[in-house]
Amino acid sequence: MFSFKLGLKNLTRQKRRNVITIMVIAFAFFGYLFMDSVMGGMEEMSFSNIKNYDTGNIQVAYPEYWEDREKLPLENLIYLNQDIVDSIKNMDGILGVSPELRFKANLNNGIDETVVLGLGISPEQYNEVFATQNYIIEGSMFSPGESKAVIGVKLAELMDLKINDYITLLVRTKEDTFNTIDVEITGLLNTPNPMINNGVVFVPLDIAQQALNVDNGFSLLALKTASGDEDKIGKVLMDSFKDKDLELQAYSWRESAESIIALSTAKKGGIGTILSVVLLIGMIGIINNVILSALERTGEIGMMKALGMREWEIVFVFMVEATGIGILGGLAGCLIGFAGVGLMAKYGFGFNVMGIDISEYGIPILDKIYGTWNYPAFSFLFILSVTVALLSSIVPAYWAAHKDPVKAIYHR
Amino acid sequence: MSLLELKGVKKIYQQGKIEVPALRGVDLIVEQGEFSTIFGPSGSGETTLLNMIGCLDTPTEGEIRLNGNKVSDLSRKALAMTRRFNIGFVFQSYNLIPVLTAYENVEFAIRLIDHTSELKIKERVLQILEEVGLKGLENRRPNELSGGESQRVAIARALVKEPKLVLADEPTANLDSKNATDVVKIMVKMNKELGTTFIFSTHDPMVMEYAHRYINLKDGMISADERRG
Ligand SMILES: Nc1ncnc2c1ncn2[C@@H]1O[C@H](COP(=O)(O)OP(=O)(O)OP(=O)(O)O)[C@@H](O)[C@H]1O
Ligand SMILES: [Mg+2]
Repeated sequence: MFSFKLGLKNLTRQKRRNVITIMVIAFAFFGYLFMDSVMGGMEEMSFSNIKNYDTGNIQVAYPEYWEDREKLPLENLIYLNQDIVDSIKNMDGILGVSPELRFKANLNNGIDETVVLGLGISPEQYNEVFATQNYIIEGSMFSPGESKAVIGVKLAELMDLKINDYITLLVRTKEDTFNTIDVEITGLLNTPNPMINNGVVFVPLDIAQQALNVDNGFSLLALKTASGDEDKIGKVLMDSFKDKDLELQAYSWRESAESIIALSTAKKGGIGTILSVVLLIGMIGIINNVILSALERTGEIGMMKALGMREWEIVFVFMVEATGIGILGGLAGCLIGFAGVGLMAKYGFGFNVMGIDISEYGIPILDKIYGTWNYPAFSFLFILSVTVALLSSIVPAYWAAHKDPVKAIYHR
Repeated sequence: MSLLELKGVKKIYQQGKIEVPALRGVDLIVEQGEFSTIFGPSGSGETTLLNMIGCLDTPTEGEIRLNGNKVSDLSRKALAMTRRFNIGFVFQSYNLIPVLTAYENVEFAIRLIDHTSELKIKERVLQILEEVGLKGLENRRPNELSGGESQRVAIARALVKEPKLVLADEPTANLDSKNATDVVKIMVKMNKELGTTFIFSTHDPMVMEYAHRYINLKDGMISADERRG
């Protein structure tokens, strides 16, 4: 089609202006893709930090406990015989089951005191669900029955504690009487999840149960599944609880990570804003381009009208050109976006380099985050930009094509 | 039936509150195959008259008939269609598209009306370019052509669709005398060979020489109209 060919050839005119418009679109694109990647990386990392070091993929607890879980109550604990725990563990898709007794404690080093989260765990089972033990940077994990504890490095620093130091955990038993757990520090943790490093004391489950006077009760079961299977397996679990007349409920990690989910929602909002700005930039660039071209080609447009071209035929020529600019800008943007995201994904980006500790903002990420690849974002943006270029060229092109032929020919 | 009939054609331009009468009652009949020039002092309305005849604009008053069809009250769209199929234009500034070759500039015009085979179109375009003396320059861009050559491309573009009527507003004004006479001679040749009706305006007496009919315009009215040769 001749008009199509003409539109493409027109792309080679006003090269510098076209290149600038293409570059503007490309950089806007790049900015979007880069931010999307960083935010995606932040989200993914927050999620995996929560799953791998805090909640597991699924948590099983009584709904009454779940509701009050922030208060770390010793009511509504789970008392199960080992058979049931084993049967859960043997279910398809469940890779690990770890009982956890969560309690509030005051950590005393003999001089100072601070409030911490106490976690009674059985190391072997805990290991099947969480990656935490890989991050013991000094010392080792305790065995069941030992009066020992593992704490995060940050907490150790704060309380001026070292390996083999003794600490006292001041707790309240189920009957609300005071009790203490005296333990020796056997390991120091430095996990990627800063929340764990800052305020958690791990002790053997049986030691905690004894001190809190809860028999063999525990707060919840943390389960590991393949990621993405949480909902499916959660459902199967619920069915099996019903069969066994248990009131237990399965909660996916998402339900215990509301603040992070909120972050993810904020991310969507933020990315939406960036997207609108990017599209606006593209639109202005294209409209500006079409208007300037039309002004420069007034005589030519007049000639086209004299030849009897219909208005939409002239509009079409401009639209082809504008769309071409959209496509080139989009491609260039995807290309540099590809490079930028590639670098981010490979080398990551350290917030600490900028002197920002984002864990202070409730984002459980330590130092570096890595970009994620969001391929749909590339194609989505590309298609969107072509559409926007196409649409935003219509009005100025129509304005150009609608000119009175005599005025156009004689530049009046 | 005459090719072109004008009856009492007036054109008044509105410039703010002032009315500028560019044509003040023009009666004119042009027959098929005539080769006419419109001339007169600057500002006497030649361009305006050509624009009315060429369906680029409509008169304020009066009637224009092309092939017996009244065109003076058509819509913009209908006017465009009339131009597309019946009228060729040549302008003082050649108005070629700079990114297209001589060949493509001519091809552009015929593509608008002819959807026959590629081969026929190619044949036709090459033929008309040869007739205006541009054989061998088909692939040059406008910036690689002289003014005379450019205007010949424009003539080929106007003629390629074989219109009944070709209107040329000062087609030689930008050319030196050698190129100017060349261009007029080509118009004469086309008029003879194809029987195309030409109406052109000019201020150049040498170019005027070639016409068969002289239409003298003064203050928006025809003051003299004579045939020669
Ligand atoms: N759009 C317009 N608005 C106002 N006045 C106009 C307009 N177009 C033409 N005129 C006036 O109408 C008159 C005739 O104009 P026209 O362009 O037809 O003259 P012309 O004979 O072609 O002149 P030239 O020989 O210099 O080309 C002039 O006085 C001109 O100023
Ligand atoms: Mg004029």
